[in-house]
Amino acid sequence: MKRLRVLEPLAWVGPAVVLIALVVLWPVIEMVRTSFLEVSRFGVVRGWNGTENYDKLFAETDFWPVMLRSLIWVVAVVGFTVLISLALAQLFNQRFPGRKIARWALIAPWAASVLMTSIIFKWMLDPEVGIINLIRRDLGLIPAMGGADADQLGQAATAFPWLIFVAVFVSVPFTTYALLAGLATIPSDVYEAAKMDGASKFRTYWSITLPLLRPALTVAALINVMNVFNSFPIIWSMTHGQPGYSTATSTIFMFILKGSNIGESAAMSVVNFGMVIVLTAIFLKISKWKQEVA
Amino acid sequence: MVLTGPRISSLGGFRRLVWTNGPSDEKAVSTVNIKLVGGAALGLATMLVLSSCGGGDAGTPAEGGSTGAAAGGEQVTLKMVAADYGDNPTADNAGTKFWKSVVDGFQAANPNIKVEVQVISWNDIDKQVATMVQNGQVPDILQTGDYSGFVKDGLLYKTDEVLSPEVSKDMLTKFADFGKVDGTAYGIPFVSSARALFYNKELFEKAKITEPPKTWDELKAAAEKLKAAGVSQPFGLPLGQEEAQAESFLWMLGNGGGYTDASGKWTINSPANVEAFQYVKGLVDAGLTTPNPGTKDRKTVWEDFAAGKVGMVNGGPMSIPIFDKGAVNGKYAVAPIAGKTGPLDTTLGVMDWIMAFNKNGHAAEIKKFFDYFYTGDATQKIVDNYKLLPVTNGGIEKLSGDEKLKPFLDALPNASFYPFKDPKWSEVNTAIKQTIGGAVKDDPAKVLGDLQKVAEGS
Repeated sequence: MKRLRVLEPLAWVGPAVVLIALVVLWPVIEMVRTSFLEVSRFGVVRGWNGTENYDKLFAETDFWPVMLRSLIWVVAVVGFTVLISLALAQLFNQRFPGRKIARWALIAPWAASVLMTSIIFKWMLDPEVGIINLIRRDLGLIPAMGGADADQLGQAATAFPWLIFVAVFVSVPFTTYALLAGLATIPSDVYEAAKMDGASKFRTYWSITLPLLRPALTVAALINVMNVFNSFPIIWSMTHGQPGYSTATSTIFMFILKGSNIGESAAMSVVNFGMVIVLTAIFLKISKWKQEVA
Repeated sequence: MVLTGPRISSLGGFRRLVWTNGPSDEKAVSTVNIKLVGGAALGLATMLVLSSCGGGDAGTPAEGGSTGAAAGGEQVTLKMVAADYGDNPTADNAGTKFWKSVVDGFQAANPNIKVEVQVISWNDIDKQVATMVQNGQVPDILQTGDYSGFVKDGLLYKTDEVLSPEVSKDMLTKFADFGKVDGTAYGIPFVSSARALFYNKELFEKAKITEPPKTWDELKAAAEKLKAAGVSQPFGLPLGQEEAQAESFLWMLGNGGGYTDASGKWTINSPANVEAFQYVKGLVDAGLTTPNPGTKDRKTVWEDFAAGKVGMVNGGPMSIPIFDKGAVNGKYAVAPIAGKTGPLDTTLGVMDWIMAFNKNGHAAEIKKFFDYFYTGDATQKIVDNYKLLPVTNGGIEKLSGDEKLKPFLDALPNASFYPFKDPKWSEVNTAIKQTIGGAVKDDPAKVLGDLQKVAEGS
């Protein structure tokens, strides 16, 4: 009887442990193993390859530019997302006529599949028939449809900002809702006290709202960091990382490599995985997430 | 905790497993009921266990024991993987529907053999098949764009083990020869296609061009006239990810160049090829082509041609259905592709392959299926549905009356092919798709030189 008692917690924790082992640990181990194998493009495992996959990866002329671009991508997307969401959360926390409708509207980009949103933006930016270009033509910003001026996704300098825009567009709803939930947990008496002391609006926001919002903000931003870094559908469906590799992030690069060298692609995945962990660690350090809010 | 969050949540919506982006993942986190997660965990664990059990002996009939010949009325299941030539998975010409009609006919004639066909889109088939091979779960039959990489490791049946001599004999010799590695045939030609120049007759009239260009100079003059007549893309130039290797090859051929020389040595940055790209770069710089060609897919440019916005474009028989659905229907014509000094006497030929894996030992059943496929009306259905060209003498004869397909059928016997049997081709091809567009934007010699380095690298 006693023995069974000891085993009881295992029955409760067991499924979760099995799940984590199968769905998280096993693929990670397989990924790392593959990165040291020589695998033909057709999937035939040719044997152990030492660190050759990594040597080849780091020697790619496009590797470092891609890594740098990934970093810019994460910082820009998460940065804009958080700033916009902070403002939107504040707005939606106020009572105003039509707030319910506005809140529902905010869900739309979140409810639509990311791939679908990306394809819609791609078509809106189409040089021949895209609505955004039709408007630009009618405003006199471009001379005619179909030319290089109308082809914003064709050049990295204009394509990358659009990719960032779409990524922010699909990330804002979740972040805003997470922050709204955070705002709802701040007790109103703190604000009353601040009012009594004659604190300005800015001061109240800076010294009360933001610190109390930090747990929600940290979680929201952290989830964004990881997911934006691994984001694939937006860039792939809008530019394939082209021209050249000039709009490719490391996830896109990994996918392209998979077409020519599976081992090298796995090595890229491992680097990617490491980057996410490093980014997360840096992020948690900066936001000092364990420190209690005073 | 955070790490596992999104993953568990994907169980709530399987469709997100592939196309996940951060925030959309989190939506599921917030909606998935906690109890459900527990249930899902158990469910998933069960599923994985089941599938791993099933996977080990996949392809072997449940009754077991059968290797090869279907003796004594034993049921054999052939697993087949095929590429989708249809417009999309729900279109009337979707691959699943085509193969179902073939398999239904075959199973009615051979009640002992069941054929399970998995149709995969061209975008995914290479990667998915590679995963199957890596996991040791190969199908019995595979229909895709290349066979050569499986030969070295002894994964395939020889052609004469799975194809009747009568069928083999009917294959176009030049095609069948490409199915050989070191003199032994492994790949069976499935369908083929060739390229030619499509031009919009209405736009040509409007620009007062009397006949399609034969030389590069004529092509440039025609493009300038089209531009002056207000055509936004005088020449459609898809050098983007989808099929840059095809468009590039046609321009190389126009100057007597190519990816390799006659002896099979890589010549991507040969003077002829560099000159060809310098000429194309001139067209691009003058605004006579699709803007930023290095980012444009074939599909997009063909759709633009179908909408009447492109003056000329290189296309194949498979672009005919797309053009016929558009505004350009009935207003376009086909001509040989212009070369530097005259029309090309060769063109790009593409062949797709069907092959049999020997792992499950179903040679006899596979032979029955292949013979049924090549001798029945299935090949005719492919031509009707997809405008792809047959690979047998008999099939080509049957088509000789088709006006639209004639230019392509005529071009087939003298077509040039990718050096796909070279082990470096897949790597080179990947690099070409991604970067060759840079050759018409930056320095052609540098871009082609970098590609040559990829080809020559270890």
